[in-house]
Amino acid sequence: MLKDYFLFSLNNLKSRKLRSWLTMLGIFIGIASVVALIGLGEGLRNAINAQFGFLGSDIMSITATGGFGPPGTGVVDPLTDKELNAIKNIQGVDNAAGRILESGKLAFNNKVAFGFAASMPDGEDREMMEHVFNLKAEKGRALEDSDSGAVFLGYSFLEEDNPFGKPILPGAKVEVLDEEFTVVGIMEKKGNFQLDGMVLMNEDDLRALVDRADNEYDIIAARFNENADAARIKLDVEKKLRKIRDVDLGEEDFSVQTPEAVLETVNSTLLAVQIFVYIIASISLLVGGIGIMNTMYTAVVERTKEIGIMKSIGARNSSVFTLFFIESGLLGSIGGLIGATLGFLLAKGVALIGRAALGSELISADIGFGLFFGAVLFSFVIGSFFGTLPAFQASKLNPVDALRYSK
Amino acid sequence: MILDLLKYSISNLWNRKLRSFLTILSILIGITAIFALISFGQGINKYMNDFAEEMGSDKVMMMPGGGLASSPGASNILYTDDDLEFIKKIRGVDEATGMLITSGKIEFKDYREKYPFVIGISLESGEKKLVESMFAGIQIIEGRDLKKGDVLKATAGYSNTIPDRMFKKRVSVGDKVEINDVKVEVVGFYEEIGSPTDDAQYYISLEGFREIFDIEDYEYIYLRVSPDRDPSDVAERVKERFRKRRGQKEGEEDFTVQTFEDVMAVFTNMILILNGVLVMIALISLVVAAVNITNTMYTSVLERTREIGIMKAIGSRNRQILRIFVIESGILGLLGGGLGVLLGYGIAKIGEFSARAAGLSMLRPAFPWWLTLGCLAFAFIVGAGSGTLPAIRASRQRPVDALRYE
Repeated sequence: MLKDYFLFSLNNLKSRKLRSWLTMLGIFIGIASVVALIGLGEGLRNAINAQFGFLGSDIMSITATGGFGPPGTGVVDPLTDKELNAIKNIQGVDNAAGRILESGKLAFNNKVAFGFAASMPDGEDREMMEHVFNLKAEKGRALEDSDSGAVFLGYSFLEEDNPFGKPILPGAKVEVLDEEFTVVGIMEKKGNFQLDGMVLMNEDDLRALVDRADNEYDIIAARFNENADAARIKLDVEKKLRKIRDVDLGEEDFSVQTPEAVLETVNSTLLAVQIFVYIIASISLLVGGIGIMNTMYTAVVERTKEIGIMKSIGARNSSVFTLFFIESGLLGSIGGLIGATLGFLLAKGVALIGRAALGSELISADIGFGLFFGAVLFSFVIGSFFGTLPAFQASKLNPVDALRYSK
Repeated sequence: MILDLLKYSISNLWNRKLRSFLTILSILIGITAIFALISFGQGINKYMNDFAEEMGSDKVMMMPGGGLASSPGASNILYTDDDLEFIKKIRGVDEATGMLITSGKIEFKDYREKYPFVIGISLESGEKKLVESMFAGIQIIEGRDLKKGDVLKATAGYSNTIPDRMFKKRVSVGDKVEINDVKVEVVGFYEEIGSPTDDAQYYISLEGFREIFDIEDYEYIYLRVSPDRDPSDVAERVKERFRKRRGQKEGEEDFTVQTFEDVMAVFTNMILILNGVLVMIALISLVVAAVNITNTMYTSVLERTREIGIMKAIGSRNRQILRIFVIESGILGLLGGGLGVLLGYGIAKIGEFSARAAGLSMLRPAFPWWLTLGCLAFAFIVGAGSGTLPAIRASRQRPVDALRYE
């Protein structure tokens, strides 16, 4: 029975090939663009998430806040040894280490670049840092306690297309804020632009270089027991720090963040942008839907006589409704199927060209089965939604009037 | 003749009200989105241009290396007083002034403290004038401006006069706030700039700034170029001289010198590109609308086959038939465009009000005449263009076949 409906609908669509194609064209342009944009958007989001993926789930970072900009800048009341020791003593915290971060310039081969330098603590704390950030040397070696006047550089300094015109290799001399340092090693590639562009040096070196007080830190990294309850430790840290810094709940001048929380902030901003773009893109789907509605109204008018005949030989209102409803649903889903396929190809193509042209790993397309079939399903819904009114009009026709109708 | 054609087309569209309405609706939606998006892009562009114009094209900015990529207060590369004196003496530099900037803790009564930027500016008469021109026409609306001799006195951005925006209650002229625990009297307020960061700022004399913060050196230096000099040339010269002073090689500078126009152009371009991408996405819906118009027109050609046959039989030329259908679809497009412009205007206005309510009054749409005209023309062209194929089919029909058509 249902099969008959489908065959009948398909025949009707076929007999008005041009019009059916044009209607579907509208839908598939819309679906293709939405699928392509969502695919690229998701790709971008995954790429950004991967930038944070290096962080273990057993670490949290504490920064003093106030002001704008990257961690440690414009802070009024910096973190000190007092906070560091308090954090170390919290139950569940394995270890904690303070670091300082400074912006600056690095010169090599008569060229300069601007970026961040971060300090590495000594001894046990160094091991913890190396473990947490998985700091292994690609070339040369990592920093050691006895190093002085030495830097350990991120992977991007080793790449051919770095701003210095040639790769920096271990043993090279570079100038950081006009002081000479020896490169002892290059870090393994992390796929994270911050880490890959990072300049690491021993804490004493960095403090001397930028003239920072001994007991101030820009960021404290705390590693906790993997089995411990991260949320509880976070609360404990916040409570301790509020007491030390004498601030009330809700007025903290510091922030405690787990990698997941950082990721969440980034994701929610990105999501807002994505949603805005999707909304604009789905305008074309709305227009495509209106096209379906138009086509179906025309079909109902043209087939008034046919409907009259069907009704007079006993077709029920519901059968007539189903007939037209299926027809518009088919228009939607066939259009959606073609559109989703095109969108898939389009996104992959753009990602391919974008990568080749810009060399940016942020451009990638991620289209899963969910998105693909979701799009097809959605276009079916659009088709049947916009077909409902015309189908309803068809089903309500009075057989006598319908039979008498002439164009 | 044309009038007859128009009448005929309109009555045809009127006869198929529902279908015409849906077709118009589909083009209307796209035009609405495009009109609203472009009006915002143009508005921001205009805001920037007005700002640059107020400031004049004779200003040059010196920043830490890397330009504005790093946020204020974050750089280790600063300019000293000696640097400033050196720059003032370079030929072509009419006047120069340094700006101290950092984020400070502002406390007002017992309300929750805030951390806006605090900016130290020179109040020496010559430099003060340059500072004023950097404000680009942004006026003091309450109280007075800072004047020579003011030390622990500050002017503040507009947000401070609005309850619940900075502090729970507004700050008034004569109130004392604490900047990093130092009591400072607020003597005046600036009008709204329209960006939350700028509207929160506090301005204080260089002396006051150095008393409160442990910062001696300038992050930015602004210069005015002598009237008969080309700003780009002077920027180049300053760069060269200053490079020599710091003993740096070309391409290895740790500072950036740019004319203010170039600085602005970077921002304007970025905004226009973003806006352009959104408009392109919205254009997709117009493509779909064009397909809808084509579809409607094909249907209407089909329905009126006999009519076309009769017209031809009594002497209509192909050209005339073609014209009838092209005009009909053009009218569909034009109507959609007209309504779309109206609706787009409404939506842009709503957007403006909600942005203003959120303290982002720099996000305001502009409606240049060419935008309205362009949207209308574009809608008409899309309509007429997508009606062309069906119209050609109509005009090529053989009268005999057309008359016989059922």
